[in-house]
Amino acid sequence: MKIVYLATAMACAVAAPAFAQSTIDKPECIAPANPGGGFDLTCRVAQTGLEPHLTAPVQVTFMPGGIGAVAFNQFNTNRTDDGSAIVAFSTGSLLNIIVGKYGAFDENDVRWLGTAGADFGAVVVRADSEYASLKDVMDDLAADPQSVVVGAGGSVGSQDWMKGALLMREAGGTPMQMRYVAFDGGGDAIAALLGGSIEVYTGDVGEMVPYLESGEMKVLATLSPDRLAAPFDQIPTAKEQGYDVEWTIMRGFYMGKDVSDADYQAWVDAFEAAYATDAFANVQAERGLLPLNLSGEALTASINGTMDELRAIATEAGLIK
Amino acid sequence: MTDRIFAAVLLAVTIGYAVIAFTVISAPFQYDPLGPESWPQILSIVAVLCLLYILWRPDDVTMDLTRSVWFRLGAAVALLLAYGRLYEPLGFVIATILFGTIMALMLSAPRWGAVAFGVAAGVLGWLLCVTVMDLNLPEGAVVEALLETFNKEGN
Amino acid sequence: MDTVLSGLATGFAVALDPFNLMLVLVGCFLGTLIGALPGLGPINGVAILLPIAYGLGFQPEAALILLAGIYYGAEYGGRISSILLNVPGDAGAVMTTLDGNPMARNGEAGRALSLSAVASFVGGTFAVILMSLFAPALAKFAVTFGPADYVALMVFAFASLASLVGKSTVKTLLGATIGLMLATIGIDANTGVARYTFGIPDILAGIDFLIVVVGLFGMAELLSLVEHQARGTLKSLPVDRSFVRMADLAQTKWTIARASVIGFFIGILPGTGASVASAVAYGTEKRISDTHGTFGTGDVRGLAAPEAANNAAAGGSMVPMLTLGIPGSGTTAILLGALLMFNIQPGPMMFAQRPEVAWGLVASMYIGNVALLVINLPLVGLFARMLTIPQHYLTPLIAVLAFIGIYTIVGNPHDLFMITMLGVFGWFLRKLDFSLAPIILGFVLGGLFEDNLRRALSISGGDWGILVQNWKSVLLYLLALLVVLVPVVLARRARKVAAA
Repeated sequence: MKIVYLATAMACAVAAPAFAQSTIDKPECIAPANPGGGFDLTCRVAQTGLEPHLTAPVQVTFMPGGIGAVAFNQFNTNRTDDGSAIVAFSTGSLLNIIVGKYGAFDENDVRWLGTAGADFGAVVVRADSEYASLKDVMDDLAADPQSVVVGAGGSVGSQDWMKGALLMREAGGTPMQMRYVAFDGGGDAIAALLGGSIEVYTGDVGEMVPYLESGEMKVLATLSPDRLAAPFDQIPTAKEQGYDVEWTIMRGFYMGKDVSDADYQAWVDAFEAAYATDAFANVQAERGLLPLNLSGEALTASINGTMDELRAIATEAGLIK
Repeated sequence: MTDRIFAAVLLAVTIGYAVIAFTVISAPFQYDPLGPESWPQILSIVAVLCLLYILWRPDDVTMDLTRSVWFRLGAAVALLLAYGRLYEPLGFVIATILFGTIMALMLSAPRWGAVAFGVAAGVLGWLLCVTVMDLNLPEGAVVEALLETFNKEGN
Repeated sequence: MDTVLSGLATGFAVALDPFNLMLVLVGCFLGTLIGALPGLGPINGVAILLPIAYGLGFQPEAALILLAGIYYGAEYGGRISSILLNVPGDAGAVMTTLDGNPMARNGEAGRALSLSAVASFVGGTFAVILMSLFAPALAKFAVTFGPADYVALMVFAFASLASLVGKSTVKTLLGATIGLMLATIGIDANTGVARYTFGIPDILAGIDFLIVVVGLFGMAELLSLVEHQARGTLKSLPVDRSFVRMADLAQTKWTIARASVIGFFIGILPGTGASVASAVAYGTEKRISDTHGTFGTGDVRGLAAPEAANNAAAGGSMVPMLTLGIPGSGTTAILLGALLMFNIQPGPMMFAQRPEVAWGLVASMYIGNVALLVINLPLVGLFARMLTIPQHYLTPLIAVLAFIGIYTIVGNPHDLFMITMLGVFGWFLRKLDFSLAPIILGFVLGGLFEDNLRRALSISGGDWGILVQNWKSVLLYLLALLVVLVPVVLARRARKVAAA
């Protein structure tokens, strides 16, 4: 079967070079978490954004557990040569590699494929919350760290937790003093925020898109270096409000180590073709992602740089020795 | 007696579970008073108490199996394990034909009936699941290699 | 109310289009086939066929209607193997085996299958009606259910399951504990610490529910068939032409009503689904109405309760997805994916922005329920004939089907090894008079119980008082107490009456 597909792929490439579609048999994007959170969103970008550049639609599947560890290990053991599947990762996954949650495997054991874009941390409260600005939250945290119930979709040591920990540190406390509740994915955490179980949700900007219009939640601050474009242009950054907390999330995809160069290149081509279009930029914008378009070698180099930075932060936070 | 043996085996496993719960599992720090270790600790205590009770007052159950029945069961498990082991290397079709035929023979199906069953399960199963329902079943490393050589010769 | 009616009118106009109507029927039929494979339930059925629906280039509403049909079909298909073979097809079908399979063994497979279809239809329709009338309000209620309330719900679930006690109380307790212990394997959701994984990446996420179900039930059943065959104690069943009777419906009408309500409300809570709903419905029903101890031997009420409940739960889990964009179960998560794939954002704005899709989906759920009944009732006789396949072919066929179902979930041959070993374990347990249902339920409820308990305590900063702080928790604890006490009181009264 695969041979037939490859032959068709070559035929297509020869026949229609003007509008080349990469041929990938049953393309699959694996979101290594429960639905509704950041990985879900990452895969949706691949699904919608790559649609014109692939011969078949990308199917999104979920492989929850261990904040991506299961998928990472799966692609290091069973599916190292699966050329149809890409796996979503974020800066948080890199953090997990650093603290050893992904076992013996590290950043050199997968093939980094391409980015979906960048996302930023967000401090979110319910629409009727007493907190009107980030300052209110920070003042309470400074006065009594235990007085604010913070929650998010990741366990201790995850990047969701890091955002809370960084806020706590900025307020003058230690991460251990915080009152933090770990949920299994962003969807559950949002439900808990809406239901009033937690007061502050340290989520991501991107996943807030559907809720901005309906007005059930308000974003007190984005943890981005600069103001974001619409529809987030009304939301101040933490820095503007006088707090030096920044959390940039790179979102992208990796593949197994032993994927054939042909399959890898087919995906890279699809990404490169997509990056060149306005349509892809629109998809990114709709999902609250800033353009950050890197694939193949360039991405791998960038990740190696990021890993050094993150290792420094993690050591500082006491997560690794 | 059977009950006691089974309980003793489970007790050994549970004690292993308990030792891990009480010594190995711990978090660098945690926000809830229980932490990752308390729940398994509680469970292991409940399980140990239940097992001690069974050891003390076992039910009067016997396995009541003849040696030939044990042999059949052992063979069935071995067949299943082999089927699982060969699922990917041989691929669904060949593994299923082999498993279906041997298992049916073992359950004293008529010889040609067993072969027909095995072939039907393998081939129809593949057609129905892969072709019609588009499920993801292994083609088999062996089959893939064969196809490849065939293809090369064809070229 | 007017907007609901006009919305439904729009929806039915879309769903009753001849082409779309045909899609519902095709979906129901395909779904039934997929669901009948052990291990493949609605989640995988919808996930597997989603790219096909997308690839056919249908309008969004047509594709969603097809998927809704598959969803309902697979939901029902799972019952076929539960009833006929004692092999649950998916999570929600475990309780169906308890009375459904004994009915089949008594030569009433047709009656069990048709009753199951009717109960499913009533439960499913009830849920869709409530959903279309009150979805926004229900969703608001569902999210107020906090971790402490989930803990109370788990206590209630375990209390209602106390009714499952088999021959030996201590073995039932041990079984539930084994299930809870199995649930602790994997990475801890609160602190991220790995427990009992021994460095094996495949179980970092814990053991998949379906593997436990298909292993403990399906493969153990297979070994038991081999055993009986070897002993020559296997009795062949006559061709069975039984069908659901009016008397059955009269006897189960309140059972179905109660189970539908329980199933629906458990279904709308994010994180719980058909498995919890059917377990609680069965447990409660057994507590309330099993006065003669006939549950577990082929009682029609013991079959109707879980069947109505899991279909009501399937409908209920649509509520948070359609109104808040929060998927309440695995299957709705996939449907959510389908919506996003067609560039429709589920959530608060969906009914306003894309009424034809939102209401078309709702209307197709009404139609899907009817279609299922129409398709499956005539086929009952055909399915029941499956039992006339000679055992020497049926036994290997169970293994082939189970392997297909389990392998296609993640494509990991390691899982095939796991189900075989769990099957051996399950066979021993059955030989020693353990009932398997408590193990499965301990396993399903264990993770929810522990995680939510610890979440609640993190919220309160370690204060256990949070567990009884709001009326929902307190109400559930009271109900739990009631479920335990009522049968005791009833039994005592019965004894008094008998004495007098």
